[in-house]
Amino acid sequence: MRIDEIKYSLENLKHRGLRSFLTILSIVIGIASIFALMSFGMGIGEYIEAVAEEAGSDKLFIQAKGIGAPGTDDNFFLLDTDVDFVGKINGVKEASGVYMKTAEIEHGKDKKFAFIMGANPDDMEFVEETFVIKIDKGRTLKKGDMMKAVLGYSYQFDNKFFKKAIKVGDKIGINKEIFEVIGFYDELGNPQDDSNIYITFDAMEELYPETKDKFGFVIIRSEKSEKVSELADRIQERLRKEKGQEKGKEDFFVTTFEDALATFSTIIGVLNGILLLIALISVIVASVNIMNTMYTAVLERTKEIGIMKAVGARNSDILWIFVFESGFIGMTGGILGVLLGYVISATIGGVTAAAGFALLQPVYPLYLTLGCIIFSFSIGAVSGIMPALQASKLRPSESLRYE
Amino acid sequence: MGEKYILELIDVWKIYRMGKIDINALRGVNLKVKLGEFLAVMGPSGSGKSTLMNMIGCLDVPSKGSIYLDGHDISKLYESDLAQLRGRKIGFVFQQFNLIPTLTAIENVMLPMIFQNIKREERVRKAEKLLDIVKLGDRRYHRPTELSGGQQQRVAIARSLCNDPEILLADEPTGNLDSTTGQEFMQFLRKLHTEEGKTIIMVTHDREIAKNADRTEFLKDGKIAKNI
Repeated sequence: MRIDEIKYSLENLKHRGLRSFLTILSIVIGIASIFALMSFGMGIGEYIEAVAEEAGSDKLFIQAKGIGAPGTDDNFFLLDTDVDFVGKINGVKEASGVYMKTAEIEHGKDKKFAFIMGANPDDMEFVEETFVIKIDKGRTLKKGDMMKAVLGYSYQFDNKFFKKAIKVGDKIGINKEIFEVIGFYDELGNPQDDSNIYITFDAMEELYPETKDKFGFVIIRSEKSEKVSELADRIQERLRKEKGQEKGKEDFFVTTFEDALATFSTIIGVLNGILLLIALISVIVASVNIMNTMYTAVLERTKEIGIMKAVGARNSDILWIFVFESGFIGMTGGILGVLLGYVISATIGGVTAAAGFALLQPVYPLYLTLGCIIFSFSIGAVSGIMPALQASKLRPSESLRYE
Repeated sequence: MGEKYILELIDVWKIYRMGKIDINALRGVNLKVKLGEFLAVMGPSGSGKSTLMNMIGCLDVPSKGSIYLDGHDISKLYESDLAQLRGRKIGFVFQQFNLIPTLTAIENVMLPMIFQNIKREERVRKAEKLLDIVKLGDRRYHRPTELSGGQQQRVAIARSLCNDPEILLADEPTGNLDSTTGQEFMQFLRKLHTEEGKTIIMVTHDREIAKNADRTEFLKDGKIAKNI
């Protein structure tokens, strides 16, 4: 492909400007959707990886088999004796029960429901590591903190959870009991988790006396040398026997942190995949559009093709002129599509960040940008191959007569 | 060996199939053209002039018979080889001028050189020189729509000469020009023949125009005839 042939192709695209623009527009829409969706998909992937890295790969959970938020199934619980039993299983470094309940939270005249978690103040470091929470302001819970609470990130701001922001030292109501706020956790990235409230075992037992020593959720740390998946099977087996349940009919299940994240990743991946498929369909429509434009161009330029052949153009010269034209349409559509996709995803990312969804943030690796542009160039070029082949095979004597 | 023929057609047939009927556009044409000759081919409409032009110009291959261009049989060449050959050895001047409308005059003149892989500087130099020869040096950046019919035909002749072809093939070159411009054009063609020694084959139906040639052949019903 020589510079003059490229120039000739570009002149032709300019010559039929509106048609070229509309064809390019159709590919811009498809590529913009793909770019935006993939940037979010990758952003979520990175977020999950970061969480996994922070939480470490040595964590396991025991929770109820069933639907609903983990730990909130009232029919399922593990007794503190069960937690002690699990703690003694070979390969388990430590185990800690966690209470989980939904409670009515009051601040001034504002009332809302939120999750509260009752944790063992002796195990706070372990709990915080497992739930990937770090103190942002104030301090964490310690033994003897009776009516004290550490709140999620969202409570610190006006109109995020409550209308008015809460500060360290403020008082809030949890199921009508007054609690003092002693700290805030850093942002987790989704409004649900960022509105959790953390209190001690004792405080939880004060609020819900009937749940004393009945944990909805157990967190486990394995010994360093242990394979967590094997340990999960061992705990499952031992605890089943301990609770006298039949194999396959347990009311609990043991899962590793990695499994839990993998499940989440799969769900996100499937959702993203479906959306990508829709975007791909629009690219296919765009490629049909390019093909149509190129067939029309071949028809319009039949005589020109004849002239070029008469003055010495080979079939391959004609082929490349048309493939370049369609490829150029694809590439321009790709570049503009990436720009539009960037604007769309950055705008949505800004909105989701403001709404507290830090996990819904787009990322823009270079290979995504280049991949989108190369993909759209290829789509364009491939769409142009058939019309280009038709053009290249035109007989010069016949095309010269074409009016 | 006798005189050198640049072009030799031996019993050339061209048969087109229209549905179930075969149409014999050329029926055993024999024609020899000497190097440096100016030949006019005359014939009424439907006599096979255009088909003959296509054969001579390597735009099509015969159904039967042989065509020798500069001693090489071109009747059995593939399209890509034919393309290279016509780009190098034949310059076309068409009745409709056949310039590319999106290209400027100089770009149109440079076009055949692109396909012969001639470097850009050389192409520009040659195209500028040729446009000067046809007195269009000041119109080199004009597109065909901005040029008169005569000027367009002069761009076309500049284009036909750019690869220094052995044969100049003119198909009714004055057909779309008024008589004065047509005469001017013929003078230019004759000059090319006499001064540059170009072999020119011109198809025309106009006896006056044909008089400019050294020799006239007549084509009737797909055959060379004594007169029409």
